[in-house]
Amino acid sequence: MTFHAAIVKAENDKISLEKAKEFIISEENGAESIFIGRVRNENSGKKVTAVTYDVHDQVVIKSFQSICNDAKNKFDKSSSIFLEHAKGYVPVGEISILIAVSSGHRDEAFKICRYILEEIKHKSPIWKKEHYIDGKEEWLPGHSLRPKEEIK
Amino acid sequence: MQIQLKLYGSSKMLSDKEILNIELPNNSNIEKLRGVLNKIISEKYLQNNLKNLPKTAAFFSETDEVINDNYKLKNKELISIFPPIGGG
Repeated sequence: MTFHAAIVKAENDKISLEKAKEFIISEENGAESIFIGRVRNENSGKKVTAVTYDVHDQVVIKSFQSICNDAKNKFDKSSSIFLEHAKGYVPVGEISILIAVSSGHRDEAFKICRYILEEIKHKSPIWKKEHYIDGKEEWLPGHSLRPKEEIK
Repeated sequence: MQIQLKLYGSSKMLSDKEILNIELPNNSNIEKLRGVLNKIISEKYLQNNLKNLPKTAAFFSETDEVINDNYKLKNKELISIFPPIGGG
């Protein structure tokens, strides 16, 4: 299998860049692209201390596998992809998502990375709750999975 | 009849528990469930910005398949509610 897709429970483990690099390295792929998403300390003027990621594990894994397969078929069948997303309470500065891709050429490596990230935002059931410095917390808005024509 | 609604994301504001039991008339479908949720939210949870949840949520069966508004719910059935998503 030339892709790895997983959810990492933040309370037990951390997403590892080293593991990702080791997974994608290949003599036939001369280009590598790595995207790291981290929890940042500010959103819409509010001081953020952490984000809790809620995840429907089975549907997310199914969507990750489908997205990785689509990316390979669309851009480069020989590419290798490593994809992990955090679940649970993730403090500021920690990694929430890591996408690492190796491909024959740089253009495909960049495109696959971008494609996977955008598809996840629209297809994978993951929800974010921000925790603020004043002790308040808020679920963030997102993209509805209900077909647009059904939303009146 | 009663169904069990597994809560995700912002819908977790509806209960401290992971699963919310909801009373519905017999032979209800997802569309009816949206209406009942609308009533619950407008009576109790309007301050929590859940007003749009009944119309924007998607519902998934126990076998992780999306279910549409015509889907007939069974007594004691467990389904999941997916509010709008935003990972990454």
